[in-house]
Amino acid sequence: MKPVESISGQDLRDMMATATTWLEKSSTDIDALNVFPVPDGDTGTNMLLTMRSSVEEAYRAPDSSASAVAQAIAHGALMGARGNSGVILSQIWRGLAQGLKDKESVTAADLADAFHEASITAYKGIGNPAEGTILTVMKDVAAAAKAQVKNGVNSLVELMEAAVEAAGESVANTPKLLPILLKSGVVDAGGQGLYVILDGALRYLRGEVEQMQFRKPQMITSSLPQPARSLSAVIDEVPYGYCTEFMLQGEKLAGDKIKTKLKKQGQSLIVVGDKNTVRVHIHTTDPGSIVQYATSLGTIHQISIRNMDEQYQDFLEMQKERGLAVDIATVAVVAGDGLADVFTSLGVAAIIPGGQTMNPSTKEILQAVKSVAADKIIILPNNKNVVLTAQQVHSLTDKHIVVVPTETIPQGIAALLAFDFEADLEANTRLMGEAKSRVKTIEITRAVRSANLNGLSIKKDQVIGLLDGELLATGSKPLDVLNKMLAKLSLKEMQIVTVYYGADATAGDADLVSAGIREGHPQLQLEVVQGGQPHYNYIVSIE
Amino acid sequence: MVKIVTDSLSDITSDVALGLGITVVPLTVLFGHETFLDRVTITTDEFYRRLINGTVWPTTTQPTPKAFADVYDKLAAETDEILVVTVSSKLSGTYQSATGGKSMTTKQCRVEVIDSQTVAMGLGLIVLAAARKAQAGAKLNELVDFVRKSLSRSHLIIYFDTLKYLAKGGRIGRAQGLLGALLTVKPILTVKEGEIAPLTRVRSLAAGMDYIYNAVAGLSPIEALAVEHTTNPDDAEKMAERLSSIIPKDHIHRSTVSPVIGVYAGPGAFAVTVFAAEK
Repeated sequence: MKPVESISGQDLRDMMATATTWLEKSSTDIDALNVFPVPDGDTGTNMLLTMRSSVEEAYRAPDSSASAVAQAIAHGALMGARGNSGVILSQIWRGLAQGLKDKESVTAADLADAFHEASITAYKGIGNPAEGTILTVMKDVAAAAKAQVKNGVNSLVELMEAAVEAAGESVANTPKLLPILLKSGVVDAGGQGLYVILDGALRYLRGEVEQMQFRKPQMITSSLPQPARSLSAVIDEVPYGYCTEFMLQGEKLAGDKIKTKLKKQGQSLIVVGDKNTVRVHIHTTDPGSIVQYATSLGTIHQISIRNMDEQYQDFLEMQKERGLAVDIATVAVVAGDGLADVFTSLGVAAIIPGGQTMNPSTKEILQAVKSVAADKIIILPNNKNVVLTAQQVHSLTDKHIVVVPTETIPQGIAALLAFDFEADLEANTRLMGEAKSRVKTIEITRAVRSANLNGLSIKKDQVIGLLDGELLATGSKPLDVLNKMLAKLSLKEMQIVTVYYGADATAGDADLVSAGIREGHPQLQLEVVQGGQPHYNYIVSIE
Repeated sequence: MVKIVTDSLSDITSDVALGLGITVVPLTVLFGHETFLDRVTITTDEFYRRLINGTVWPTTTQPTPKAFADVYDKLAAETDEILVVTVSSKLSGTYQSATGGKSMTTKQCRVEVIDSQTVAMGLGLIVLAAARKAQAGAKLNELVDFVRKSLSRSHLIIYFDTLKYLAKGGRIGRAQGLLGALLTVKPILTVKEGEIAPLTRVRSLAAGMDYIYNAVAGLSPIEALAVEHTTNPDDAEKMAERLSSIIPKDHIHRSTVSPVIGVYAGPGAFAVTVFAAEK
């Protein structure tokens, strides 16, 4: 590789073209980083379209001086700027062009000056510049380039290497500066785009254009722990122990072997890399032994061991401080993993395991209430025998607690769905209470003892059917009893039937049920969901 | 007379725009490498046909600052005051382009740009009201004041028939929490502080219409109402019919939902906008 000391305007143009091709390869990945809610904000696409316009214009430069080509690039970017990132990018090229004014060719010192100019122009172009964006990345690149020149570097390749490295670090750091990125668990998309462009330019200078065809730009990931995706932390899954991360360098490292060795030592294990460098991430209660094992294989770098109990508390605090915490949260008492998933998917902040025959204690409900980052909390007991327990909680906490006295799972789901995101606690209590009374519940289970009830003689272990808690039918097979129960309802007036089948029923059984209902009442919207609840073969919601 | 400019996400149809002298600057709709100008070279019907049947996920891009600058230059021949009201700057970069276009104009003309913080007819009804005021002779300062005060009067409520398209698009602010529901639910959304935000969820179209009817009734007195659909005019018609007990049906503005919201709403969605009466 020959040291490149200066480049012509033609080189500058080809460098931009290479960078554009490079960007094209990762534009969809960059799009995926967007925090903004609509496709209109597609940063990768917008930057790519802006770059294409620059390159087209570069071919129309009046002469091949660096100055003329840079002017053309800036002009093309301005005309083709799309999206905020495209607009800022066009400002960067404008600054660069100003920095290269009257230059026939570009030296390392010229480029460092031009980067500096680009950074200043980019900041100027924005009404209220935010840090943690492409602006910060450009600023860091300019500073790194300047430092290189100061250290006497006159090779353009060396200068660009430092610039690209600085860009990468700067991108990884963006979530520290911009809370929304941290919240979304992404790095800044515009910054990532600039990194790829600079990296593409560097590869051109290194003469790697051929090899680039078969490769893809690197996506920078944040060095920060990603926040939990939502508040739906089920209480027994709160992270604990130490988040341990490091880079291992050595010879003939075997990633698979390391993985096998560490697998039993903790959760969330990630081992990636090649035979010389391996990156390890693990949640463990004993970080010492992990580090000890790693040092026996090679040298370790960038070690980070963080206490996750603290992290989790910090996360909750952060949610509160930033006002990210939901204003009103819901917690629910639910048995069965399928049903727990349904409740979680509909937005409950915490699940208290329990229900029939295993009523949770006041303390358990209180713990769930405390774990949630909200001051106003609605409790859905989903069982007659839990309502009172739930009502004790309000006297044990400073939080504002309301119990919507749902007595069945379908009532709980109906109440949860009726939650109005814009309404206050009082209005929601009303809305959810109304919704719960609009749904009917059939439960199919087995008698725990013999009894005479409602004119029915019930033997122990016999299948029984309840409608809104009232025992109305018995039989020997769950399916038959369910059909008897359904016959008691005027399904003609109903719209939606949802069948949650329990741990004792199979998907095949549930299909039979739904086929039966569908045959008799084709107008109904029918859904079958695996509830996984114990003791109850079927819980059916009719609304 | 003050000239009114907006973007195609206002869902103002070309005949209505023509009648009130409104200039609608189109966004670009991209299906892979095919590009279209929203409501100019692609109809909303065609957009949804491609969305449902096509394999390429569409995206949209804001107009360039230059596109706005050209509009300003053209209008400057007839007026020296232009009011631009754009889609929420949190949903699209159009506001940025409209502002950026100001410095690229070659003609002398005063241009004011306002971020509506809403979209679809939520924006459309504000623009229509402003255009009528402009026709009645209101000056730019007066109109700017009027539009700023109108923002809180506009309430957009959108019914989604499916979460499929919302899930494909992936990132839709606070509505994110609606994804992954294990039951069939139909979300009802709004625009809050410029962003898409959830209102509630229902399990059927009938329940959705009930909710929306009650929500609209709760906002009266109402000055204007709009109902727009993505692919199912019949549902929108039914909704309009029900709302006609609140406001006469021939006063209910009908349109189609623009691609930016439509790409998430998908088929079967409809939106109702309430423009509440001045307090």
